[in-house]
Amino acid sequence: MEKKKQLGLVFFPAFDWAISPDHPEREERLLYTRDQIAEEGLFDHPAIEEYRPSVASVQDIERVHISVPSVQEVITESHLIAAGGTIKAAELVDSGETKKAFALLRPPGHHAMRIVHGSRGFCTINIEAVAIEYLRKKHGGKFRCAIVDTDAHHADGTQDIYYNDPDILHICIHQDGRTLYPGTGAIEELGGPGAYGTTINLPLPPGSGDAELLYAVEHLALPLLQDFQPDLIINAAGQDNHFTDPLTNMNVTAQGYARMTELLSPDLVVLEGGYSIEGALPYVNVGLLLALAGLDYTGLVEPEMPRRLLKQRREVNEEVVRNVALLKEIWSNRKEQNLDQIFGKEEYFQRKSHIYYDTDNISEVQFEQILRCNLCSGYRIIYSTAGHQFGQTTKIAAVLIPWHACSQCRNRAEEAYQRLLQTSKLDFIYLQDPERERYLKK
Amino acid sequence: MAYIVGIDVGGTNTNAVLLKDDAVLATAKAPTNHKQLHVGTIQALASILKFMPELETEITLHLSTTLATNAVVEGKGEPTAALIFPGPGRKWEELGLPFKLFTVEGSIDHRGRETAPLDRDQIRRVIKRIKEMGFKALAGVGKFSSRNPQHELELEDLVTNEFPEYLPVTLGHRLSGKLNFPRRITTAVLNAGIAGIQAEFAEMIREVRERYKIGRVFILKADGGSIELEESLARPIETILSGPAASLMGAQALCNEIKNAVVIDIGGTTTEISLFYHGEPLAEKEGAEIFGFATLVPAFFSRSMGLGGDSAVQFDGKEVTIGPRRDGPPVVLGGPRITPTDAVVALGKASIGDKKRALTALEAMGAPYGINPTAMAEKIVDAFSQKAIKTINKIYASINTRPVYTVSQVMAAEVLEPDLIIGMGGPAAYFIPKIAKGMGVAYKVLPYYEAANAIGAAASRPTVTLTLRADTALGKMVIPELDEITEIPRPFFFNLETAKEEAIKKTIVYAERAGTTVEPKEIEITEEEVFNMVRGFHTIGKLYTLKAQVKPEVRPIKTCGC
Repeated sequence: MEKKKQLGLVFFPAFDWAISPDHPEREERLLYTRDQIAEEGLFDHPAIEEYRPSVASVQDIERVHISVPSVQEVITESHLIAAGGTIKAAELVDSGETKKAFALLRPPGHHAMRIVHGSRGFCTINIEAVAIEYLRKKHGGKFRCAIVDTDAHHADGTQDIYYNDPDILHICIHQDGRTLYPGTGAIEELGGPGAYGTTINLPLPPGSGDAELLYAVEHLALPLLQDFQPDLIINAAGQDNHFTDPLTNMNVTAQGYARMTELLSPDLVVLEGGYSIEGALPYVNVGLLLALAGLDYTGLVEPEMPRRLLKQRREVNEEVVRNVALLKEIWSNRKEQNLDQIFGKEEYFQRKSHIYYDTDNISEVQFEQILRCNLCSGYRIIYSTAGHQFGQTTKIAAVLIPWHACSQCRNRAEEAYQRLLQTSKLDFIYLQDPERERYLKK
Repeated sequence: MAYIVGIDVGGTNTNAVLLKDDAVLATAKAPTNHKQLHVGTIQALASILKFMPELETEITLHLSTTLATNAVVEGKGEPTAALIFPGPGRKWEELGLPFKLFTVEGSIDHRGRETAPLDRDQIRRVIKRIKEMGFKALAGVGKFSSRNPQHELELEDLVTNEFPEYLPVTLGHRLSGKLNFPRRITTAVLNAGIAGIQAEFAEMIREVRERYKIGRVFILKADGGSIELEESLARPIETILSGPAASLMGAQALCNEIKNAVVIDIGGTTTEISLFYHGEPLAEKEGAEIFGFATLVPAFFSRSMGLGGDSAVQFDGKEVTIGPRRDGPPVVLGGPRITPTDAVVALGKASIGDKKRALTALEAMGAPYGINPTAMAEKIVDAFSQKAIKTINKIYASINTRPVYTVSQVMAAEVLEPDLIIGMGGPAAYFIPKIAKGMGVAYKVLPYYEAANAIGAAASRPTVTLTLRADTALGKMVIPELDEITEIPRPFFFNLETAKEEAIKKTIVYAERAGTTVEPKEIEITEEEVFNMVRGFHTIGKLYTLKAQVKPEVRPIKTCGC
């Protein structure tokens, strides 16, 4: 019997795919990372086994997304491979083939929301969510998962997908949304009426570095994970908190990333953003690989390391300490919280949101209703109108039946879908029922 | 008319073959003398030259020798110190290399830029220490030295001027343009260690040159190409594992129409499996592995399994287990334990030794479970084939799921399957048909032909591989194998065509050094990568990485033996 490998690596740099030639999400992005990993001899290391990504099926995508007009029309093959690669990595850990797995691939996914009209924040398909739903299906719904997203940008897509899902804990640590795309991720965003408290956001002030990130992981993420006891811990590992990143204003180093990975000890790490392709990614990724494979990463130093970051850091920013304490208190009291105070006393909780697709220049307005149900997280209806670049608009409605839906919610969702089919004002009407693998579109 | 002598120094015998163009004129053999490899080599040479019809004509000598392999496996090389420039990154103490590593300052990054200068005083101090500690050979290896060999070259310069006793110092970048620091260190250290042995061997060949009218001398490499003897002095490590290469080259020279064949070489203790892919032997992705050492030496793909004619057989009433242990010779030859060979003898498919012994032993093995000797023998042959098939399928599965890095390769999902099984080695004849039937693939057993490896060596040609890396943003072009670091005069006009032309031009120069004159059309670009470099939404240049090589090729050989 072969010994179980410590780390499964699904490396897929998509060397022949770019959003556009000059776009940060281009062929070159993981080139230097590949070179660094190869030169360090890590593709060769006995603790690390490299795997080819699988290709996700349309159904794998439909478990997560309502794609408008269809999955095939919003994606490219690269998205199916990135999603399939993440499934592959998740499957390695879930099946016990490797102890840990790293989906080091592109394009990323954490800005892709439930409804997909196009690409936003360089993302079209939420690759973590596709892997989670794959495993949840495999385990017949008996699956609880935690995502710790440490990309500098708020993971608004992942939050949107799981904000009313009590089985998925989403902890997002990011540069304060008031200073960076996409702007969301405030501390008050704590999830929907069916899953209050399983969405946790910790904004970090611009300029935060290793000290703040490590504090947040040690004092917020770890205790919450300990409490939640998930079957799988995913780290959505954006690498744009690095001090050289061109799009953000943070000061994390490769050492900081490696230490964070060691502390968090996630089962599955998935690359998200990070666009300092020469100064950060090669070193951060080697740091992550070393930490995940249980090797010494302390010799890792970026060549461009400024003197100020080499010194032992000052104390952790006070605001971060305060917010961590506040979030822990909210977490502890989440089950006693009177939800009517937050979500009102109406039968349906309703919210309206504007979503901008920066990559594809689409402007979407959503109106959503969630049934306040005591037996399950409640079925949902989402009405979405998307305005495309040249004035064309698409109007859709989607009925979502959650996992473990009660019979009442299930019936009411079916009725709502039938009712919607009678309206003529909509371009498409969707029904999403992952428990029974029913994905309908009219 | 060209006369070629091919000599293969094998584990048991040294075989020689005399070719006149593409025809075998004669074969000869002498026992291999492991203590003095050159003695057997010269004997084989002397005996084959008796068949030389035109005594005044010069011959070309092609050698496939286990000299380097044995030196590595038996640790006979000289005590070698590795002076390395590890820079920041993985802890060098954790590389797990069984060599003495001495670290010095100086680092190069992934694009070949110097990020920290070297310190000549420190290097002097370190080499003095190396000398005091009694090391006889020296290798110098820098991280990313194949992207910029500047530090290694400065080291060589310092050694030449101040420590000439350590010349030639092996520099990592000359041995491979690939990226893999630990493997580069291993390759360089092994190379430096066996350089002395290779030099002695060359000296011995020089001595007999006059006497036997030997013209040029080539040594077979692990990738099936050959290298001129004098050039091999600087890179003897490339001549390791030439035995398996000679077998594959021999198979290719003797069989025509090989496409996607799997070659199964069944020996006493192990079975070696190699593959042909679209008519050419498949190469190892990174490089040869020898005796647990992972190197960057270009080599044919080969996997060894602990299954052979003499493997120990066990039976628990249900399952037959074969190998990986070998407890001695087969029972028919007086061995202690039943082997697959005994089963074959019992079935009457081979006559080796004492058949009665095999039947008695098989009777003892099967009787407690009510199985007669013939049925028991069948079971063993079946188990042998099943084990081989399982391993072969696993090898194909792993090749078919090799990581690939582009969308088009993933979507194409090319599947390699064998269309022919080629059996080699003594016991092949009995097992190959069963394996082939189990896999549903046609087969061919190469008759046991001792001279096949020698023919493989003789039919090979000199080959070289080089790496060209051009970074138009930095305006630099580097060819590590040739020590070249040059400015690109007009980066804006540099394109893929220029890069290819340059690579071909330099390959011709390099091939000349390795002992052959080649035409541009004989050079193939085996890898090419082109990336646009964009910084801040502007294209600042392109990165080209090309590999060019003179293809290993065999001439078809006509023989009455196959």
